[in-house]
Amino acid sequence: MQAVNTLLKNFAKCSAFHLAVRHGVKKDLFPLHRTLILSPCLKEGAPHSASEKLDLDEWKKVMKSGVPEASEAGSEHKELSTVAAAREAVEMWRLAGRAVPENISDDQLKTLMECPSKASKKKYLKFLYIKELYKKNDKRKMEEKRERRLETQEERDSKPDELKKNSFTCLWTSAIDRTYNWRVAQSMIFGQPLVFDMSFESDMSPREVANTVRQIVFSESSNRKSVDPFHIHFCNFQDNSQYHREFIKHYRQAWDKLLITVTERCYTEVFPKNKIIYLTADSPNVMKTFDHDKVYIIGSMVDKSIKTGVSLARAKRLGLETACLPLEKYLLWNTGAKNLTLDQMMHILLTLKDTGDWKKALEFVPKRKYCGFVGKSVSDLKKGLNLVNALKLGKKREVQKRQFAKNYSKKLIQK
Amino acid sequence: VQPPEKPLQAEEWKKLREEYQSLETFEEVMLKSMIKCNSHVDVAKSLLTYVAKTNGDVGYNLLVKYLALCVQQRKTAEICDVYDIMKMRFKTLESGAYSLLIRGLSNSDKWRMALTLLEDVKKVTTPSRTSYESCIKAASRHQEMSLARELYHDMLAKDLVPTLDVLQAFFDFSRGMEDADLKKELFDILLYLRDNQIYPHGTFMRSIKLWFESIPGENWRGNLTNIKHSGECPVCHHQLEDSNLTEEEYNILKERITADVIHGRDTFRKTSPQEFEAFQAFVEDRLPFDIVIDGLNVSHVKPKKMQCENLFHAINCLAKENVRLLVLGRKHMLVNSSNWKQDVMKEMQNKADFFFAENISEDDAFLLYATLRSGKHCRFVTRDFLRDHKACLSDSLTRRLFRKWQRGHQIVLSSSTEGKRMNFLPAFNYDCVVQTTGDTWHIPYKDMFEERYSYQVPRKWLCLQQKQ
Repeated sequence: MQAVNTLLKNFAKCSAFHLAVRHGVKKDLFPLHRTLILSPCLKEGAPHSASEKLDLDEWKKVMKSGVPEASEAGSEHKELSTVAAAREAVEMWRLAGRAVPENISDDQLKTLMECPSKASKKKYLKFLYIKELYKKNDKRKMEEKRERRLETQEERDSKPDELKKNSFTCLWTSAIDRTYNWRVAQSMIFGQPLVFDMSFESDMSPREVANTVRQIVFSESSNRKSVDPFHIHFCNFQDNSQYHREFIKHYRQAWDKLLITVTERCYTEVFPKNKIIYLTADSPNVMKTFDHDKVYIIGSMVDKSIKTGVSLARAKRLGLETACLPLEKYLLWNTGAKNLTLDQMMHILLTLKDTGDWKKALEFVPKRKYCGFVGKSVSDLKKGLNLVNALKLGKKREVQKRQFAKNYSKKLIQK
Repeated sequence: VQPPEKPLQAEEWKKLREEYQSLETFEEVMLKSMIKCNSHVDVAKSLLTYVAKTNGDVGYNLLVKYLALCVQQRKTAEICDVYDIMKMRFKTLESGAYSLLIRGLSNSDKWRMALTLLEDVKKVTTPSRTSYESCIKAASRHQEMSLARELYHDMLAKDLVPTLDVLQAFFDFSRGMEDADLKKELFDILLYLRDNQIYPHGTFMRSIKLWFESIPGENWRGNLTNIKHSGECPVCHHQLEDSNLTEEEYNILKERITADVIHGRDTFRKTSPQEFEAFQAFVEDRLPFDIVIDGLNVSHVKPKKMQCENLFHAINCLAKENVRLLVLGRKHMLVNSSNWKQDVMKEMQNKADFFFAENISEDDAFLLYATLRSGKHCRFVTRDFLRDHKACLSDSLTRRLFRKWQRGHQIVLSSSTEGKRMNFLPAFNYDCVVQTTGDTWHIPYKDMFEERYSYQVPRKWLCLQQKQ
């Protein structure tokens, strides 16, 4: 009975009624009205009669008919814990078509609730959403790959008589690893030191620390694979710091077997001060050549909010020599900050060490950041340009300058 | 996609859907374009009916889009229906749907329902300021001013910045009312504008003017005017407040500049402790200065001239009136080069005190310190807006103090004039904020479409005076 009542109520609200009256189609309406009252279950009756005339509010009936018991849901709602409430809110956002992940763990929900503002919550959810997308894509690709592999295997199985002849011994990854490790071990005795300064933890957010460690892991691996590796030092490294935890996440057991020097001490205690050069984009000194006798220091810091002068301040405090890459000199800079990622720095330094060729080295600067490489230094070009301009302008500026100097000396004489 | 003009049958929708490239998003895209084209609700309804019939269910995202369409066209009955359906279907709603519902209902005679919805939102999260705006406007439209005030205070307590529309609504709807509490509230709003250095726009200013003139028995008269440079109001001949800070404010600012701007987290970032100490000793030795000049900034005023020439001109212009000058520069200025002639530098050092910072130090921080240390009369010369230094200050109160002090003490060199003389835009003699003396109010305002940068202050004023 209740169902019929609600249906009747709906019908009264139904604007189709008015619409029908307006159009003067009473004929169609009244049969519908009758079915409403007569049939206990409208769901079957309505579509038949409305097949020629549109019932605009039918979707409401459909929505209301398939409803789970609302009262129960209400009482449940009050007992929800905060985590569950947050989970539900995320689910509603997903239904509304926002960029939120499909699955979210309790830990992630806790981080979400600790976000101080609405915007930061949104940002975090979007981050999780994109991460999830990547994961899904990877999984899909893996499966496709496996299928392809199975197919080729079947093909190979179908034609079994093919001689496998190879005059070279197959180099397995373990063997390659052994070679690399041998080289790095040698560099630990004879190689040039390269220091990562691990004292920037307090200047970074957890995500920035994670990014830093990721970049260092990349740098370490490219160093290991190079012909003449650096002897990597992690200085100012505190046990149980955020850096440490992130490194263990990446390396697991291999962390203890890494062929690098990790120390709590500062680089100034390990190396003589006059041999140290701190590399920082804020430095006023431009690096001209790569010096094989110096100890270069890279600050292990990712600053997404561009904190200028943090690493320069470190070098100033300790009275160290600083240098920056000659990016301006060799590249026609386009966009982006002059600070490069740690793995890019590592690639550049390794190339410089091997060849001393700036063009080859600066190839590792992301292409989007510059327009082109100039063989001559940019400052020379600019001088040429100035000369052309000066000729064009009829040496106006030069004349002005000379005039001022003349007037000024006249003034002095008058006095 | 172009939405159809009339409601369609299920078959027709099916055909349209198959013509569309991506089947999954068809309904969403269609509803979106209906909102954009402001299609009739019936068209949307027929689409929903089609979806309901084929899927047996209508998704939440579609419901929200439909709701947005209903809100846009103010179909109150429909809004209520959708809300009923949503409540039945989902345990909680998400913030987007809530703010749509609140907006839709507050414009109708069911505005009280919007208030209960606002309470619901509060249980989960802080409502948006526009939700508050809708509710406050609805309450004041129905002359429930105490309720509106309650909501307004609730909003302020949650650290939300009220929209200018909300504040304007208060003035609009209390016109001619005799209510002492309400009057105090409106004065508080004006003081809120003062404290936060907010300038009302033209229509808001008109609401304020009309309200003042409608206060029974007080005989307020409002006039629009431009304030003279001396800071005198041409209408009531009242002298506006100057931008001097109080003793206490001045000390706070001085302290915060030293702590946040110069030292920050690491003194080495902008200078070094040795250098700063040397500078402090230098300043203490020669106090007080009348004008502090940012040498490098001034030297770039006219790019065609030699840098030391520019500085020389500026110093000559300023030195005439027997004032004590301090010029801040960097050490590289002391090396003879095409831009810095050493004989000119020597000459300048006879007329003013010079302090040369290290080439990698920031001289602006020294500029602020020297000016503040010299006292309230001291001004400084730079074209820099000093926004990066303002950003270093830790709290918004000090930032506002800084802006106020900057307005009153910064002399700007204008570069537009090509003539030989240097042009100085002097610091403001008066402070550009909402201000009162009890029987007068002066309110700066900006035109609705006037483009105003954050560093510019409005030139137009509303002068209100009470005539006995």
